Amino acid sequence: MSEKEKKEEVRIGVYVCHCGINIAAVVDVKAVAEYAKTLPNVVVAKDYVFMCSAPGQEMIKNDIKEHKLNRVIVAACSPAMHEPTFRAVVEEAGLNPFLFEMANIREHCSWVHPEEKEAATEKAKDIVRRAVAKATYLEPLEKITGKVVKSALVIGGGVAGMRAALDLAERGFDVYLIEKSPTLGGNAARIGYLDFKMRGADLAKYLMDKVSKNPKIHVYTNSELKALEGSVGNFIAKIVKNPRFVTDACTACGECVKVCPVEVPNEYEFGLVNRKAIYLPYDYAYPRIYAIDQAACTKCGKCVEVCKPKAINLDEKAEELEINVGAIVLAAGYKYYEPQEGEFGYKKSKRVITLFQLQRLLAEDGPTRGELVVDGVTPKSIAFISCVGSMGTTPTAATYCSRMCCTSALKDILKIKEKYPDIDIYYIYKDLRTYGRDEDLYWKAIENMVKFLRYEETPNVRVEDGGVVIEVNEVTLQEKIAVPVDLLVLVNGMRPPEDIEVIKSVLKVGSGPDGFIKEAHLKLRPVEALTDGIYLAGTITGPKNIIESVTGGSAAAAKAAALISKDVVEVEPIVSSADEELCSGCGMCVSVCPYDAISIEIKDERRLAKVNELLCKGCGACAATCPSGAMQQRHFTDKQILAEITALAKGVIP
Amino acid sequence: MSKEGKFEPKIIVFACNWCSYAGIDLAGTSRKKYPHNPRIIRVMCSSRVSPEMVFKALRDGADGVLITGCHPGDCHYVTGNYQTMKRFQLMKKMLDELGFGDRVALEWISASEADRFIEVINEFIEKIRKLGPIKFREEVLENP
Amino acid sequence: MSKEKVKVAFYWCASCGGCEEAVVDALAFLEDKMLDVLEQLEIVFWPVAIDMKRSDVEALKDGEIVVSFINGAIRLSEQEDMVKLLRRKSKIVIAYGACSYMGGIPSLANLHDREKIFNYIYKEAPTIVNPTGVVPQTEVEVPEGKLELPLFYNTVRALDQVIDVDYYIPGCPPAPETTVNALQALLSGQLPPKGSVIGAGNRALCDECPLNETKPEKIAITEFKRLATSAPEPDKCFLAQGFVCMGPVTREGCGARCIKVNRPCQGCYGPLDNVTDYGARAASYLASILDVPPDSKAIEKALSNLPDPIGKFYMFSLAKSLFKGKVVKK
Repeated sequence: MSEKEKKEEVRIGVYVCHCGINIAAVVDVKAVAEYAKTLPNVVVAKDYVFMCSAPGQEMIKNDIKEHKLNRVIVAACSPAMHEPTFRAVVEEAGLNPFLFEMANIREHCSWVHPEEKEAATEKAKDIVRRAVAKATYLEPLEKITGKVVKSALVIGGGVAGMRAALDLAERGFDVYLIEKSPTLGGNAARIGYLDFKMRGADLAKYLMDKVSKNPKIHVYTNSELKALEGSVGNFIAKIVKNPRFVTDACTACGECVKVCPVEVPNEYEFGLVNRKAIYLPYDYAYPRIYAIDQAACTKCGKCVEVCKPKAINLDEKAEELEINVGAIVLAAGYKYYEPQEGEFGYKKSKRVITLFQLQRLLAEDGPTRGELVVDGVTPKSIAFISCVGSMGTTPTAATYCSRMCCTSALKDILKIKEKYPDIDIYYIYKDLRTYGRDEDLYWKAIENMVKFLRYEETPNVRVEDGGVVIEVNEVTLQEKIAVPVDLLVLVNGMRPPEDIEVIKSVLKVGSGPDGFIKEAHLKLRPVEALTDGIYLAGTITGPKNIIESVTGGSAAAAKAAALISKDVVEVEPIVSSADEELCSGCGMCVSVCPYDAISIEIKDERRLAKVNELLCKGCGACAATCPSGAMQQRHFTDKQILAEITALAKGVIP
Repeated sequence: MSKEGKFEPKIIVFACNWCSYAGIDLAGTSRKKYPHNPRIIRVMCSSRVSPEMVFKALRDGADGVLITGCHPGDCHYVTGNYQTMKRFQLMKKMLDELGFGDRVALEWISASEADRFIEVINEFIEKIRKLGPIKFREEVLENP
Repeated sequence: MSKEKVKVAFYWCASCGGCEEAVVDALAFLEDKMLDVLEQLEIVFWPVAIDMKRSDVEALKDGEIVVSFINGAIRLSEQEDMVKLLRRKSKIVIAYGACSYMGGIPSLANLHDREKIFNYIYKEAPTIVNPTGVVPQTEVEVPEGKLELPLFYNTVRALDQVIDVDYYIPGCPPAPETTVNALQALLSGQLPPKGSVIGAGNRALCDECPLNETKPEKIAITEFKRLATSAPEPDKCFLAQGFVCMGPVTREGCGARCIKVNRPCQGCYGPLDNVTDYGARAASYLASILDVPPDSKAIEKALSNLPDPIGKFYMFSLAKSLFKGKVVKK
């Protein structure tokens, strides 16, 4: 309590409600009011039939003025019922709403001890005494507000991120869209079918087109979030723009590629073919400017010589910029599972490829122009092994199901059958999860004579000349069979992105045991991170298909928009704070805060715990942890709670 | 709190705003009955309850102290009840040695579990009743 | 203060003698600094150093002693008698050191009672030969007459549980700086309100600990470590490594001298002003920084290297814990 408070006399008004007969039929309310008068600092104690009624409320307001009350207690129902009501009443009378306390003598007393009138009345007196004890030490509190910047940052230029950016821009907000790679589009731009006519690339192209034409969306490719300061409504994002080494004078003529001496695996073709150190990710990349892979480039300068528009600058340095935004949408995507060398024959034979590689082979703009040619031949037989990297099938596999792979694989199978009806196809699966309407795919596959084999024990793959042999313990037949095929496709799943640890530490968001970012609550707060102001879209929270990702993007944008539409962010003032005089900066509190709301700041060479009041949600874990009593939760201070304890256990008000 | 010689234990219950306090409220709105012994102290989260508060409650004369909160995994503040669990276990070790371990308990009660609260409180009251009124070292030993 | 010398007294109750050494240390410290504090004092009673008797104290007028520094806990009736006498004869009584302030290490005996202690010490200990099972009595008749021994109390008490105490100087023993700071406060007449701890700071030890800044952003340990079985890395916060350090819950003022010789704080300066129970506060922060799955077996395992929390947390302060000791069943 401040010095001023100590000197100011505490004047408490206690109002005991009958609640009609709900309380009065059991508890002797007049006796309780009489009892209240005997308690220290109580100057007024009355009983009334319905305290929440208009006359009841008026009585409180009049008494505050007449008797100069600076604390009010209503002994009635649960605070869950009427605490807000009476807080508003006292505020109207000019008293700070946090100088009000309720004594629950209905839900906790008259309603549950209807036959023990004497004991219930004594209990009601105890409860009132507890409320008086707490109220004696209550302090006035002001609401906490923070400013809101009306713009948003979207991290990740895949389909979920682009959808979120577009939705936000449509609502009139400026959006900063940052993407780590040199082009927008993400994973979906290279793989996936939405239906048989529309590929992932088509959706990506559509979104990239809209994004590029939207003046409210500011796109930064080759860019990453380096640091984040601030909190909900007012973030300061430090972005680093990694050098592309090619300016927008580039005409995408491709002369540089011809002379570049360096070759590395092309990640946009999942390693099927190589690319040069200078490259355009793909034809429909946005921005349509070449980029130099800094790690691969030998700075030989041959590309500079042939570049007519003089667009290449090998000395380009990284740039840093700071953006001030009110909300952040994290849509950083996923990484596909890369099988280990030797896993099901991967990398031991040219005839073993992943699902992602297959999709590039089937794509019209792929390395084989859509012709299914592997190792020089069109296979006569293909086997798919499902759940590679998922479902615990191998020691390095995740335990979860990657959700989208079966559907994706079956769509590819039907595409293959369309073009090559005579190829023998086996789908060797642990589980077949073509869920929802995609159940149809299974039946279409059956019609197309695709053979489904089920395994529980992980199959063994033997590499041979011109193909592989898959040995599988088939569950339905209860037989061990050997399946020789020309081509094996590993249906690989999803993993958290490479830089997940960096993302987690910069944004201060947490992940679940599987590594994907955790939502605040799966059902109650699905696209929100635990940190206020950060929203989650797409596969960053776990495996999902393109449709689900895009939906998530819209959902996250809606939540972000709701935040940045406000002028201020308001929080309840029952937050924690550390007394600077007493705090030793021991840091114990920092460890327990679920919202990372506490940090250690240096002030005059002293370490001090500082609570970000906009992030604090008022649980009090820090206050209970504090070994010196420096950290206190407002409205639930040690002094207040210990007073309640003594009032109840000892029967006196300290 | 004695009535006709029967010892009525003084029980203090810490209840968290979002789960157990609401569950205790629900027992009231459903007009369920239970013994009059418990006295409730409301906190926002069970993690606000420190071992010092429990010790003070016992020292001030509570015969039993019950900490209640949300089920693990359901805490409104995500990890609050995990702090409560850890502190409770260490505190219980200390109270066991000092002779008061049986007088404290930690129970999870959700906002819909009025019946569970009644079950818990009945059991706790009877357990404490059997232990008798709390007595401290100076009351049991000849002094000083 | 007047030119007349200030009469002071020192007395030791259930004590190891360390506090007497601490007084000497402090006086030497002052002499080194050429401060003439010693000149201002007249020591009227100091059993360990000067041959004064109880009757000399009785002969003084009430309040004639300006300050009495009493160290040690109250274990025996003789000690209670002496401190009550000194209280009458003194204007100011200071509880000097952890034992008189909080009961000290002797008060760990409050986990037992007189009967258990006597049984062990005089009968059951491995090297005892006591065929008739004799234990100390308060009086015994011998041919020459009646012999008396003080009563060995069941419960060890801190000084203020027996007499009214004006100020406390913390430490086991108090560091020279602490004693000097307190002495200077006393002699200057600028004292905090009665009942305060003097000579030390008002924040936890982490405030003056050189390792405070080596802490990671969030301390999270998977289990406690013991000095007996693990070696701490130098120049890194002990707590952050998993070693139990009482720094966060203990009053500063000792200059973190234990930490500076590579040893975690044991808590001898006692709690800070707003703390009601030192051990309960210790339990809270130590349990809270454990990073373990929320299940009782995992928590139990993490706590297993903290097998004696009562002995560890209340090492210096069991007499002043809320429970004062264990309920020893009869």
